[in-house]
Amino acid sequence: MIALVLGDFRDRVRRPAYAATLLAAALLGYLAVPASDSRWAIMQLGPYRGLYTSAYVGMATALASTLWLMLGGFYVVRNTIARDERTNVGLLLASTPLRTPVYLVAKLLGNVLVLTSMLVVLAGTALVMQVARGESTSVDLGALLLPFAVVAFPAVVLTASAALFWELTPVLKTGSGNVIWFFCWMVLALGGQSPSAPLGGLGVSDVVESLGADMAAKGLDVTGGEFSLGLTALDAPLTPFEWSGFTPGAGFLLSRLLVMGVVVALALLPAVWFTRFDPALDGGVVPEAPDAVPVPAESGAFYVRGGLKTVVRRGSALSAFPRLLVGEVRVLLQGVSRWWWIGLALVAAVTVVVPIAGVSRVLLPAAWIWPVLLWSRLGTQRYECDVQSILAPYPSVRWRAVAEWLAGVLLTAGTGAAAAIRMVVAGDPAGVAAWVAAVLFIPALAFSLGSLSRTHRVFQAGYVPVWYAGVSGLPVLDLAGALRAEDGTPLGPPAPLLAALGIGLVVAVVALSGRRLR
Amino acid sequence: MLQLVDVTKVYRGGKRAVEGITLDLQPGLIGLLGPNGAGKSSLMRIAATVTRPTSGQVLFQGRDAVAHPNPLREALGYLPQDFGVYPNLTAREFLAYLAAAKGLSVRSARARVDELIQLVNLTEALERPLGKYSGGMVRRVGIAQALLGDPKVIIVDEPTAGLDPEERVRFRTLLSDLSVDRVVLLSTHIVSDVDSVAADVVVVARGRLLRRGAPEDLLRDVDGQVWEATVPYSEVAAVRAVHTVSRMVRTTTGVRLRMLSPTRPSADAVPVAPDLEDAYLGIIGRSVAVGR
Repeated sequence: MIALVLGDFRDRVRRPAYAATLLAAALLGYLAVPASDSRWAIMQLGPYRGLYTSAYVGMATALASTLWLMLGGFYVVRNTIARDERTNVGLLLASTPLRTPVYLVAKLLGNVLVLTSMLVVLAGTALVMQVARGESTSVDLGALLLPFAVVAFPAVVLTASAALFWELTPVLKTGSGNVIWFFCWMVLALGGQSPSAPLGGLGVSDVVESLGADMAAKGLDVTGGEFSLGLTALDAPLTPFEWSGFTPGAGFLLSRLLVMGVVVALALLPAVWFTRFDPALDGGVVPEAPDAVPVPAESGAFYVRGGLKTVVRRGSALSAFPRLLVGEVRVLLQGVSRWWWIGLALVAAVTVVVPIAGVSRVLLPAAWIWPVLLWSRLGTQRYECDVQSILAPYPSVRWRAVAEWLAGVLLTAGTGAAAAIRMVVAGDPAGVAAWVAAVLFIPALAFSLGSLSRTHRVFQAGYVPVWYAGVSGLPVLDLAGALRAEDGTPLGPPAPLLAALGIGLVVAVVALSGRRLR
Repeated sequence: MLQLVDVTKVYRGGKRAVEGITLDLQPGLIGLLGPNGAGKSSLMRIAATVTRPTSGQVLFQGRDAVAHPNPLREALGYLPQDFGVYPNLTAREFLAYLAAAKGLSVRSARARVDELIQLVNLTEALERPLGKYSGGMVRRVGIAQALLGDPKVIIVDEPTAGLDPEERVRFRTLLSDLSVDRVVLLSTHIVSDVDSVAADVVVVARGRLLRRGAPEDLLRDVDGQVWEATVPYSEVAAVRAVHTVSRMVRTTTGVRLRMLSPTRPSADAVPVAPDLEDAYLGIIGRSVAVGR
C-alpha cells in the first residue's frame, strides 16, 4: 500500500505541472495576507480583519486554502485513475492480487498527499507573510499550523475523496463532471460556511464565532458587516483588531473526523462498481479484429502488384486549407453524442421565440456553456490522443494551428448563431459586435490554454467560473455581452479589445507552434 | 539525399542518446539495428525533423533541414514507434485529414487515400471508428499515413510491431520495392526484419555508430567464427559465460548451440556459415567488451 501511494505521488510530483501547482499555492498564500493598505481581502468581518499574528495569519491562510483548494485542487488531482488507464499501468495492477478497495485507498491517499503538499507550501507561505507584514513579530508555530490541521486538512480529504469518486462514477467521470464539480463547489463553499450546515460544514462558523466573540469583547461593532471569505474588493482598507486565536473544542474535532469519515466512505463506494480497467465490463472500447479467416497472400495487407500507382500532386498550403479546416472540424466534433445536438437544438429553438431581451441575457450565455467540453479539446486532442507523434514532422504546422482555431470559431459561431440572427433582426449592433468578439476570443482562449497545458482540464476549470461570474453580473468577465446598461450598451469588455486579445493569443500560439521538441 | 553529420543529442538531465553519428543516406533500404535503448529512435526523430539535435547537421539535398525543415517534411513519410489516432474518426477521415495537412491536391488525396486503404487491407473496416481497431490495424493505418505523400524519404521506427508474420514479410517486400528510388530508413532490433531486404546495415549501440556496411561485409567480419555444437543442458550456462550464443535448439541429445568464437570452442564444434544475426551479435558483443 505504502509503495503504491509513494509511486503515485512520485509520478505526479515529477511532472512540470506540479511545480506550477505549488507556485499557485504560494500565490494564494500571498493573497491571503494582503498589505495593510490593500483594497482587497480574502477574509474580513465587515470593516475589520485580525492583526497579523500567527493565529490570524494561519487561520486566514487555512480558510483561503479550504475554499480555493476545493476548487483548484480538485482539478489538479482528478486524473489519478485516468492516468493508470491511459498508461496501461491499471491493467498491470488489475492482474495482480491487489484488492480493489486497497487500490482505491492507495489512490485516495495519493490524492491527499498531493493536496497536503500544497497545504504545506501554503503554511510555509503563511509563516513568511507574517514575518514580512511585520504587524506581529512573535511567531507561534503551534497557533499558525493548528488551523491547517483542523480546518484545511479535512477539506483536503474531502477534495481528494470527491475527485476519486468523480473519476469512478458514470457521467461524473466525463468532461461534464468538471463542470458539475464547479457548481457542487459553489454549494459546498457557500452552504458549508453556514452554522446550520450538516456536520458543521467546513468548520468555518466556529471560527467566525470565535472572531465575533473577541470583537465583542473589544467593544467592536459585530453587526456592522458580515463575515466574508473569498476575494472581495474594498472601498477602504480594513481595520485590524487583535484576535486571541482559535481553540477547537471536542465537538468541533469530532465533527471534522465525521466529515472525513463520510467523504472517505464516499470515495470508496465505487469499489462496488469499479471494473478494474476491464473494457468488456466498463463499456469501453473492445478492439474488433478483422475476420479470423486466413487472407490469401495476393489480397492481404501490403500486397501490391506493380507498385503504388497514384501520381501525388501537391497544391499550395492555401489550396489545401479548406480541407484541413474540414478535418479540424471533424476532429473537434468527433464522438459528440446525439443528446448534445438535441440540447443545442432546443436552446436554438427557444432563442428564436423568446423576447429579444432574454436572448442576450439568458439564451446566448446558455448556448455558450454548452460547447465547453468541445472547446477544451482545442490544442489538446493531438496530445491526448498521441496523434502529435505522427503530426510532428508534417509540413504547414502554422496553417494547421490556424485551422484548429478556426474550427473552434465555427463551433462558437454555430452554437451562438440563433442568438446572432435574432440580434441582427432586432437591430442590436452592440450585441452583434460583442457576439463577434466572443466568437473570436473564446476559442482563442481555449486553444491557447490547451496548447500550453496540453490538457483539457485547464480550460474546463477556468472557463466555467468565468462564464458563471459573467452571467451572475460581474461585467469584466461578461464575454457574451449579456449584461447591458439601460441604453443597451454591453457592460462587458469592449468588443474590439476582446477580439484583439483573442487574435493576439492565436498569433502567439501559431508563432510558437513551429517550435520542435528539444 | 539525406545526410546526418556528426549528430549528437543530449537530453535534459545529461543523457547522451546520440553521440557524433554521421550517415550519408542515398536511395536504398538502410536497416538501422541496435539493442533497446541504443539511441535508434532518437536518431530517427532527428532525421525526421521532430527533434532538434544538440549539435551536428541534418542536410536534405544539401540544404540545412534543422533550420529549414519544410523541404524535408514535404518529402518525408515517417512512422514513429508509438503513436495514436483520433478514436472517433474512420480510417478514411483520418487519412484525408492528414493528406490535407501534407498539402496534397484534392484529386491526389482522394486517389491516394483509396489506394493506401486497399494496400493496408482496411477496406472492410472503413466505416468503423479507429478506436475499434486492433493494434495491428492501427499500425497499418500508421504505415498508410507514412506513404501518403509519395515520400522520397521514408523513416519507419519498429514498423513491424503488431503485424502478423505474413504481413511482416509482405511489408518488408513493399519497403524493398519502394527503396529503388527512395531513401528507406528502417529501425528495428529484430535482425530478420532487415536481413533479406537491406542493402545497407547500420549498427548502433549506446548512441554510437558501431558499424556500417553491406550485409555481405558484415558477414565477412564473422566468417569462420560461427560454430555449432551440442552440449548437455547443464553446461549451457558455462558456455554462454564464455561465448556469444546466437541460438539454442533443444535436441534429443542435449542443446545445440550456435555461437561466436574466433577459435574452435570445443573439439566437436563444427563451423557454419554466418548469418546477419551472428554478425550483429558479434558487433554488439565486441562493443560491450570494449565498454568494459
